[in-house]
Amino acid sequence: MHSTVFGSRGFALFPAVVAAFAFFGSLTLPLFSDALPYSAVALLAHLFFLLAGLMVGSFGLAGREFMNRRFGQISLVAYASRSLPVSERRIFAAFLAKDTVYYILLYVLPFAAGFAAATPFISLNPALGLLALVSLMLAFLLGLAAACFLSTLYAHSVRLFAGAVAVIAAVAALALRTAHSGIAGLPPYAFFIDPGPEPLALALLLILVPAAVSVLFVTVDYPDRKKRFRNSLDPLIGRLRALGSAHFIAKDALDLLRSEGGAGKVIFSFLLPLALVWVCLRVLIRFIPGIDPLVVFAVLLGVLSATIYNWLTEFDSFSSYAFLPVKVSEVIDGKLKSYALLGILPVAVLVLAAATAGEAGAFLPAFVAFISVSAYTLSVTVYLTGLHPNVMLYHAGVFLCYLLAISPALLLLIFASILDPAYAFLSLFLIPPAALLIARGRTRWQAWEMPGY
Amino acid sequence: MIEAESLTKNYGSVTAVNRVSLSVAEGELFGLLGPNGSGKTTMIRMLTGQVRPTAGTARVMGLDAAEDPIGVRRLVGIIPEQETPPSFLTAEEYLHFVAGIRNLDRVRERCDRWFDLLEFRDKKDVLCKDLSRGTRQKLMFSQAFLHEPRLAIIDEPLINLDPIVQRTVKDFLQEYVRDGGTVFLSTHILEIAEEICDRIGVIHNGRLLYAGFVEDLVRSGHSLEPFFLDLVRGDTGA
Repeated sequence: MHSTVFGSRGFALFPAVVAAFAFFGSLTLPLFSDALPYSAVALLAHLFFLLAGLMVGSFGLAGREFMNRRFGQISLVAYASRSLPVSERRIFAAFLAKDTVYYILLYVLPFAAGFAAATPFISLNPALGLLALVSLMLAFLLGLAAACFLSTLYAHSVRLFAGAVAVIAAVAALALRTAHSGIAGLPPYAFFIDPGPEPLALALLLILVPAAVSVLFVTVDYPDRKKRFRNSLDPLIGRLRALGSAHFIAKDALDLLRSEGGAGKVIFSFLLPLALVWVCLRVLIRFIPGIDPLVVFAVLLGVLSATIYNWLTEFDSFSSYAFLPVKVSEVIDGKLKSYALLGILPVAVLVLAAATAGEAGAFLPAFVAFISVSAYTLSVTVYLTGLHPNVMLYHAGVFLCYLLAISPALLLLIFASILDPAYAFLSLFLIPPAALLIARGRTRWQAWEMPGY
Repeated sequence: MIEAESLTKNYGSVTAVNRVSLSVAEGELFGLLGPNGSGKTTMIRMLTGQVRPTAGTARVMGLDAAEDPIGVRRLVGIIPEQETPPSFLTAEEYLHFVAGIRNLDRVRERCDRWFDLLEFRDKKDVLCKDLSRGTRQKLMFSQAFLHEPRLAIIDEPLINLDPIVQRTVKDFLQEYVRDGGTVFLSTHILEIAEEICDRIGVIHNGRLLYAGFVEDLVRSGHSLEPFFLDLVRGDTGA
């Protein structure tokens, strides 16, 4: 699909971009080794791929409607079980296997290759590249298996799902308290630090058992949901009229509320990854005592909150409005306003994080950092992808531009806030470029036209 | 109402529409006929400003479709080839959404008229994603005529509709034209053109092979199907 949409080269270069990013990023490791030991970087890398696996698994399940809208149920392989003599279980297992190979080739392998290529230049054993490939692959698969397992539970029973999340959280918290560096809590990382049969076996167990359970108990169709609704659009428009773009905001609200996944989407693609990030940061302060986790969390929250834009654009495309007197810029404006309204969610998360960490003093710089980074990340996303972030970001050129636009600002802010949380106010310098990118993005996508051949 | 002059659209090395010139007068029901992939949909997209022509001009109700696509779409009712109402709005909500975009008054009255005419009132509170294809097509038809346009541009008007509703739609289009409206429709079903169109154009491989009155064809002893087939099969692309 991606090579058809982007052309073979655009998609084939995507792993090259990941490899290049890993290579150059690895070359900078010695510069920061005093503040950030290699073991901490390795832990962060494993947690990142765990997070990636979690999010890939979440989209693969909650993003079903996106696929339906784009390609129609008839053409979607997952629904082949309705017309062909092949079971849903087999189709789902094949999809899991496909995702495993696909994303390992797309992310894990190039990342490990980039790191391996850098090792001779940073006085590390090149064999670490191969070890990283295995351990990062395990971390990714752990996240993927967890997402599939939890979503299977969710499909069967919300209580069961909530219970499982509570158990996992309790086990993870206990593991973190009893271990110094999260080794016991993350077997793939433990395997990387000290390769041996025990962490490998534990990692494989934690991957294969949930994956097997999710395949055995898979349900492609969620329970029948209500299919008839009273007109909720008009009352919503009435309440939102003062904001402008009321029709588009109201439609976005109904898309989110009525789409399958609903709360599941929020939990899997936003709250769970954020919880993981918060855990990462609590671990990180053991290595870097001076770090202010709340400010760093706020910066990362600002980036991750771009997921909200993905939700808002999941069920929309420019072609839906191509025959109506609607400018593309009006649609984008509606999305931006919906995004601003939904910003209440990440703000609530930030407030909760501040309360649980007892860091009321750092809340203001953290809040400013979140608002600025969120606005900037959103503006980059809008400029580069328009209404199609879920698809466009897989184009190598677009992804490279996205990384180059986001990473320097992100890293600068994080390191500055390590020196002094008050430096988080520097994030306000991101607001003018954000405004410029939004303005340019509205103009840029106005030139979009219906795809032909 | 429609003036197309040497309209051309290239997609890379593929010429989808090749120097097509045609005009549609007010009060006409014009049918653009052609086999699959002949360029009908691309023509419609250029006339409605959804794509910019590579060359040539298209004026619709006095507006340049490439320079003022929003203006054209404000005036014209458009039914695209593939129905795409938003999945999570109900049929009623979608019509209200379109009415809101078009700043229409008497919204409920307008919607009720179409629910009754096309007989899908019982589906008005169903999510668009759960509607059958036929009902979605009825919905797209309704949204195109909600603002009572003077010109309607329709790509495959009867697709997915059952025979009873097809009759209703054909009768409506003919009455619409009798009341002063203009219709430009594209189709690959010759019977539609034969039954309701005043003038037809035949397009093949992006080129307009013929444009004329249906009545003239009949008077000269031609039947549409053999005439169309001879024209298309004899087209060597010269």
